[in-house]
Amino acid sequence: MLKKISVILVSILIISTIAVGCKSESASDTQSTDTTQTTGSKVKDVTITIFQSKVEITEQLEKLAKEYSDMTDGVEVEVWGTTGDDYMTQLQTKLGAGQGPTILSAGVGTEAEDLSDYLYDLSNEEYVKYIAPGMEVRSKDGKLIGIPYGAEGFGFVYNKSLVDASKITDYDSFSNTLKELKESDVQAVSLTKEAYFLIAHILNVPFALQDDPEAFVEELTNGTKKMTGNPIFEEWAKFMEIIKSEGVNPLEINYDTQTGDFATGKTAMIHQGNWAYGMFDSYDIDFDMGILSMPVNGNDKISVGIPNSWGINASASEDEIKAALEFLDWLFTSEKGQSYIVDKFGFIPAMTNMKTDTLDPLGKEVAEYTASGKTLPWVFNIWPAGIVNNDFVPATQKFFSNEKMTGNEFLQELDKAWENATK
Amino acid sequence: MKKSKKKMWFAVFTLPTVFIFLTVVLIPFSMGIVYSFFEWDGMALHEKKFIGFSNYINMFSDERFISSIWITVKYTLIAALIINVLGLLFALLVTQKLKVRNTLRTMFFMPNLIGGLILGFIWQFIFMKVFEQIGSSTGLDNIFFNWILDEKFALFAIILVSTWQMAGYIMIIYITGIQSIPTELLEAAKVDGAGYFQRFKSIMFPLLTPAFTVSLFLSLSNSFKIYDVNLSLTGGGPYNSTEMFAMNVYNEIFSYKNFGYGQSKAVMFFFFVALITLVQVYLSKKREVEM
Repeated sequence: MLKKISVILVSILIISTIAVGCKSESASDTQSTDTTQTTGSKVKDVTITIFQSKVEITEQLEKLAKEYSDMTDGVEVEVWGTTGDDYMTQLQTKLGAGQGPTILSAGVGTEAEDLSDYLYDLSNEEYVKYIAPGMEVRSKDGKLIGIPYGAEGFGFVYNKSLVDASKITDYDSFSNTLKELKESDVQAVSLTKEAYFLIAHILNVPFALQDDPEAFVEELTNGTKKMTGNPIFEEWAKFMEIIKSEGVNPLEINYDTQTGDFATGKTAMIHQGNWAYGMFDSYDIDFDMGILSMPVNGNDKISVGIPNSWGINASASEDEIKAALEFLDWLFTSEKGQSYIVDKFGFIPAMTNMKTDTLDPLGKEVAEYTASGKTLPWVFNIWPAGIVNNDFVPATQKFFSNEKMTGNEFLQELDKAWENATK
Repeated sequence: MKKSKKKMWFAVFTLPTVFIFLTVVLIPFSMGIVYSFFEWDGMALHEKKFIGFSNYINMFSDERFISSIWITVKYTLIAALIINVLGLLFALLVTQKLKVRNTLRTMFFMPNLIGGLILGFIWQFIFMKVFEQIGSSTGLDNIFFNWILDEKFALFAIILVSTWQMAGYIMIIYITGIQSIPTELLEAAKVDGAGYFQRFKSIMFPLLTPAFTVSLFLSLSNSFKIYDVNLSLTGGGPYNSTEMFAMNVYNEIFSYKNFGYGQSKAVMFFFFVALITLVQVYLSKKREVEM
């Protein structure tokens, strides 16, 4: 008798284990059939999921989701956690398995294009008319697939008590300033070893200064043009030489050290963006700061772009999409939603219907550059996939660890890197 | 009646394992082999183009891939050797009659409890700050400098860290090996006048062969498959001089987005690991002595 019972118990255990394994699939099945039946005018009992890549705003977003869930009747907003670094990998796996989120980070440029088949066309939404010009994320066939998170800008973040920005207008004045700073026992300028801070951002400048950056990228890929020999790139290379000789070795500096040294007045200029302001929270800063353009060829613009965008998964059920559209509409048009974007997430709005007076100093600076039209596009978004980490970083490491390497040799390395990434 | 009952019990215990093995190993593995004949970017909605063996042929002209294999082979040989020598030395040390032997065991084993990723970050700090400090305060700055930034030393940095992590684990295997050697044999040899070194060479070493088989297998295959320490310590740098096999595969798939090509590299990876470990197990099994 006892044996029989134990056999039954064991079998139940096994069956339930197997059933748990299959559960998620069957659950989503029933859910989708349910929702297609109840498609009506009013959204009812729907769970929408948000999966996004910016770790910094996860907590705030969860609060927002809870608030929205409480406010609405029957719409549950769930936020999926991520570590950020491998966001695309995770998203790809989830979408491939048919278990994608409802609202996701659609990215921009190459990344958005990769995802575009999965994304819902947002062109008919009311609020898209507020998106600042040039900041819409569209696929090649013209679908509006992403609403920008916000704008971000980068250049040389400088300490106003150490550097007089009005004096820096071209290569000579830039290099003289660096030399003077170094003599006065201040670290003149620093990059850091993280891939985008090391090379992608700073290399964006000569790309953006080309007459037609998009065409230039294509010509690099099909081999009709090279960075070597291009006058703008050659001048940029001279800047890199002076940054190497007068600045600190970026390979020995990480983001924390760099921002820390800047906040304590040890470094006069760092190549960073407005996001770095969040790093200064724990310091008492007793100086004013601003953002300075990299004066390649007399350039006075800083690079402003959108880091990421919100998109909706087109393969989600109709009700889910509807609820997600309503959520985004609320986020971008209601006072509460907007205050989350500007105050809690700390984004510089890329939409014209939001106020910017509560931004931090660097954010204000970027907003000012944007208002006066002094912006360069983020060309690195349309570089070939993987090129920064796999090809540009090694080339740059070579440049900074070899004192004798000239800027021109560096350009040749970058050309080689481009060739390798597009072969 | 009895037979069918036996069969049922057999099924009860094996079916779950078979089910799990099938779903998480066998099916994905064969799907992986299939994908390796396609050109595809990994997006389910995008087109998969069948290209036959092209992926496999391309591999032979992929310099970066080939150099990553060489780096891995070099790393595996050096690391496996050092790990085993150290593991054995530690084991011999902590099986002596020492007061601190339990403390020592714990200390040697401790690094193994920390994950490779975290170890990598800890050691990154050590190389960046501590090594430079030692170098500048003792004047030995041709040994103590930031190894991670040097093309030749970066690989040894990884070897150092992974040895530190793995040696304690291998030590445990050798300890059990040593403890299973009958004490009569060693005592008899001692009475006959054999010194410590002689006893080690002629009695312990041959009787330890099963432990060698296991330890070599573990350290070889683990070293060949290394990824975590590689990623967190050097990230493949400086200029790709430490990009190893597993990392190359990952980068091909998730960074360059060549899913099919990366998958074919992964299949090669499997054959490499299988080959190396099979040969090793075959060779050392042959040397094992029965008691």
